[in-house]
Amino acid sequence: MTDSLPESPAGSNGQPPKPAKKRAGKARVKRNEKPADSASASASRFYGTPMPGVTTEELSGSLIVIEGTDGSGRSTQISLLTEWLESEGFAVQTMGLRRSFLVGEDIDALLAENAVTRMTLALMYGTDFFDQLERRILPALRSGLIVLADRYIFTLIARSAVRGISRDYLHGLYEMALRPDLTFWLSVRPEIAFDREFKKSHSISYWESGRDLSLSNDLFQSFIRYQSMVQKEFEYLSKRHDFVEIDGERSVAEVNAALRKRIAQQLGIRGTHYHPSNALAHLWR
Amino acid sequence: MASVIQSVPDSARVARKESSKYPGALVVVEGIDGSGKSTQLYLLKRWLEIGGYRIHFTEWNSSPLVKSATRRGKQRKLLTPTTFSLLHAADFADRCERQILPLLHSGYLVLADRYIYTAFARDAARGCSPHWLRNLYSFAPIPDVTFYFRAPLDVAVNRIVAGRPKLKYYEAGMDLGISLDRAESFRIFQDRILNNYDQMIETDKFVLMDGTIPVNRLQKLMRQIVGERVNMEQFAPKKTKKK
Repeated sequence: MTDSLPESPAGSNGQPPKPAKKRAGKARVKRNEKPADSASASASRFYGTPMPGVTTEELSGSLIVIEGTDGSGRSTQISLLTEWLESEGFAVQTMGLRRSFLVGEDIDALLAENAVTRMTLALMYGTDFFDQLERRILPALRSGLIVLADRYIFTLIARSAVRGISRDYLHGLYEMALRPDLTFWLSVRPEIAFDREFKKSHSISYWESGRDLSLSNDLFQSFIRYQSMVQKEFEYLSKRHDFVEIDGERSVAEVNAALRKRIAQQLGIRGTHYHPSNALAHLWR
Repeated sequence: MASVIQSVPDSARVARKESSKYPGALVVVEGIDGSGKSTQLYLLKRWLEIGGYRIHFTEWNSSPLVKSATRRGKQRKLLTPTTFSLLHAADFADRCERQILPLLHSGYLVLADRYIYTAFARDAARGCSPHWLRNLYSFAPIPDVTFYFRAPLDVAVNRIVAGRPKLKYYEAGMDLGISLDRAESFRIFQDRILNNYDQMIETDKFVLMDGTIPVNRLQKLMRQIVGERVNMEQFAPKKTKKK
């Protein structure tokens, strides 16, 4: 069962999951058939049973996930990687949290109100995720695109886990998710993330500092404690899911070079030379 | 056909144990559209209200928090079996965490028109994995009594089709592409749901109620069963306690 999501940290055997194998199974699954019928054909690309109605035709593209807390440089790196990949002739599709047409804006509204409870929020994020998976990621991968994901199920699992929702529950919820081809984790210490976020917006968001958990009345303390809790979850997930950890405290250019090197290896790109265009030069600080 | 009967995940077992800790009680009605369940729960509610019992009635309507998303998804036909299921689970979670659980902890008799079994039967009929569904709703407290109102498919479908000018798209299971005819699609979809309900009778300890029995006789039976299964004294008005 190394193929499935882990049930709990205690159940971890320390073995990295097997690399995802692409399968050319062409067996089409009729929409009204039970998912169990299609489970074996596409199991390698999914953690568990794929979603009902999802056909198992070959997904020729690659799913590359960038994980990391706010202030880890994710968005900057995704902009740069998109430009690099496009210059190499790869078409890129992006995804991220709260970007689904179905519920993206509704989650924004829920977050603004602070009336939402943890389980409702977790399930709204789940809806947002699967809507993007079915309507954006899978079609893009079938067309051979590179999907760059600005965070993935790991952030969603970590955030809910620190709020006391059982890991078994969360792993069950996301067992129909697609297994990424590569998952990068840009790790930064909470203190550094705080500095970067504060410089950017001159305030610290309610949710990023975990204020709903009542950890501390001091916002800085609350932020550090919350981000440390999330980081612990990530350390565990990193081992189980074969994350490529990159020190997010290094310069933008250094982090980008490390990302390009590993992605080039994955996609079979020979040269990894890249210098941003004028449009993105401001990111290359 | 995949069975709805599944081993309950560990996380659900935890919830089950905790459910006995609260002083309230939960009575739910389940069954396909047209089985008579809502009428019977309404009559039960009236009986308890008139008697001055400490009760709260809840039904599977969209909570305000999730309403706009559900409406948009349905109107524009954006929902897949997975997102349909998740959105309803989010909706249920909101009602569960902000209504049902606090009321159970504060000692209410909570009456629910449709509960998690609706999602198990309906979403599995759409092709969702029964095991995934069981996990999805494992945060929900297990009811003290689950009435399952069962009427033959023809009886139930005719009650609905006769009373409704137009069946809604998702209600009729049109998203499954079973039939282009809405009434025919509805019938086949309801038949699948009915089969899924039937498979839960034993595993989920449903109290089977014959939906073809005259309304008043069925109600008498329902009141009797509630009286046997739930300690009504604890929800009764204080003056009756003194006696």
